[in-house]
Amino acid sequence: MKPIAAFIKKEILELIRTGRLLILTILFILFGIMNPAIAKLTPWLMKMMSESLSETGLILTEININAMTSWTQFYKNIPIALLIFLLLVSSTLTSEYQKGTLINIITKGLARWKIFISKTLVIFLLWTIEFWLCFWITYGYNNYFWDNKIASHLFFSAFCYYLAGIWFISLLFLMSALFQTNSIVLLISGAVFLLFYFASFFSDIKKYLPVTLLNSSYLLAGNNNISEYSFAIIFTLLLLIINIGVGIIIFNKREIK
Amino acid sequence: MDILTLAQVSKSFGNHKVIENLSFSVPEHTIFGFIGQNGAGKTTTMKIILGLQKCDSGSIFVNGKPVHFGQNQTNKYIGYLPDVPEFYDFMTPLEYLKLCGNITEMSKDKLQQRIQQLLELVGLTSVNKPIRGFSRGMKQRLGIAQALLNHPKLLICDEPTSALDPIGRKEILDILVNIKQETTILFSTHILSDVERICDRIALLHNGKIAFCKSLEEIKSLHKNTQIEIEFFRTEDANLFAKKYKKTQPINNTKLLCEQQQENDIVTIMDVLVQNNLSIQRLEILEPSLETMFMEVICK
Repeated sequence: MKPIAAFIKKEILELIRTGRLLILTILFILFGIMNPAIAKLTPWLMKMMSESLSETGLILTEININAMTSWTQFYKNIPIALLIFLLLVSSTLTSEYQKGTLINIITKGLARWKIFISKTLVIFLLWTIEFWLCFWITYGYNNYFWDNKIASHLFFSAFCYYLAGIWFISLLFLMSALFQTNSIVLLISGAVFLLFYFASFFSDIKKYLPVTLLNSSYLLAGNNNISEYSFAIIFTLLLLIINIGVGIIIFNKREIK
Repeated sequence: MDILTLAQVSKSFGNHKVIENLSFSVPEHTIFGFIGQNGAGKTTTMKIILGLQKCDSGSIFVNGKPVHFGQNQTNKYIGYLPDVPEFYDFMTPLEYLKLCGNITEMSKDKLQQRIQQLLELVGLTSVNKPIRGFSRGMKQRLGIAQALLNHPKLLICDEPTSALDPIGRKEILDILVNIKQETTILFSTHILSDVERICDRIALLHNGKIAFCKSLEEIKSLHKNTQIEIEFFRTEDANLFAKKYKKTQPINNTKLLCEQQQENDIVTIMDVLVQNNLSIQRLEILEPSLETMFMEVICK
C-alpha cells in the first residue's frame, strides 16, 4: 500500500502546485452559486424585457420561481462544468508519456497497475469533491430561498449524473492507456460518447446506456420512475470496471519510450 | 559473477533491424563502456534491459533473474539514468527522492539517511527550489542520486555526459568513478575520451551487433605496431628525410608517419635527423587509441 499512497500523494501535490485544483474548485463553486442566482434574477430579467416583449404581443403575467428553477439551471450548467473538468484532467497520463517522467518511476520497479490505479483514484476523488461541492452549494441556497422538497428524487438524480461523470473519466483513462497524445485521447473518447449518444436513439437499448444517466433531471419533476434507471446504472458500473480492467492490461503491455 | 547477461537479443522497428543477435555480459564491479554511433541501438538495448521495450527474440538476465517486458521485477536491482532525465518539476529534489524511496518501500530512517548521503555526493544538499529551475547538469546529478537511491547492483547510464559542458562532464565522471566500489556501471556514450578515462571493459555496438567486447588493455595490446609522427618546419626537410628513412608515409607536406616495428626505431630516426641536420617541430609516438579502433570498425 505504501507505494500507492506515495504515488497518490504525488498526484495530489501535482493538482495543488499546478493550480488545477484551485481552478476547478473556483469553477465548481461559481457554478454552484450561479444556479440559484440565475433563478433569483429571472423575475428581474423578465421585468426588464417585459416592455419589448409586450410590443411583440407577449404579455407577462406572473413569474413563478422556486427551487425547481434553480435545479433546472443546475442540470443545464453541469455538462459545461463536466466538459471543462474532463479537458483539464485528460492529460494526466499522456503528459507523463510526453515528458518521459514515468521512466524513472517504472524503472524503480513500481508495478504499472499501481500507477494506473493511483491516477484513476485521484481523478475520481477530484470529481467526487467538485461535483458534490457544486451540488451542496446549490442545495444550500435553494433551501434558504425556497424549499428543496418540491424536487423529487433529488439525490438519486444527482448520483446518476455523478456516476456518468465517473464513467467518462474511466473512458479517458482507457484511451490514455491506448494512445500516446492528449488530442487523440480526447478525440476518440468524444467519438465513443457520440456512438453511445446515437445508440440511445434506439429505445430498445437506451435504458442500458451510460448516456441515459445524463437525463436523470427528468426525475425531479416526478414524471419518471427510479427503476427506469437501474439497468443503466448496472451497465455503467460494468463498463466502468471493464474500462479500468482493460486499461490496466493495456498499460502493463505498453512500450514506454 | 556476471550481473547482466544478454543472449541472442534481437529487435526491429518495422523492417529496420536495430539490434541483431546481441550477446554480451557485464561482470560485477566494473565500469562497462557501451559505445557506438548515434542510432546504433544503445538506448534501445538499455530500454529492453529495463523492460520498457519488448525484444523480438533472445533472453536477458539481471543478477541471474530473467527480464520480462512490462513486468519489471528485475528493475529492483537496477538504477537507471536516462540521457535526459525528466522529473516532476513541481517538486524539490528532496521531495522527489522521498517519492522514489516510498514507491520502493524504503524505511523512513534509512531513506532520510540515504537521501542526505546522495545529495551530498551529487552536491545538491543546499538546493531547495523546484526542479523546474534546474540546469541540465543539475538534473543529471539529481538523476544519478535517484538512480543510486536503492543501492542498485547495476547502474545503467545512457549517455550521461553527452549534453553537458566540460565542467559538468567532469563532475559526472568523477561521481561514477567514486561509486565503482558500490555498484557495477553500464555506461553508454559516443564520447570516446570519457570511456578511455573511466571504463574497464568496452563493447562497441555497430550495425546492431557487437563489433568487439574487450578490456581497455586488451584493446591497446591488439595494436602492437605503434606509429611515430614527425613534423618538420620545411617541406624540403620532410622530403629529404623520406629519402633517407624508407619506412615512412606522408600525411601532408611537413608531416610524416613512420611505422614503429622495433623499440629502437625511434633512436634510428633521431640518428637520421641528427646526421642530416634536420630541425623538427615535433616527434611523437602515437599510442593506439580507442578512436583508431572505432574508426577502423565503423569505416570498414
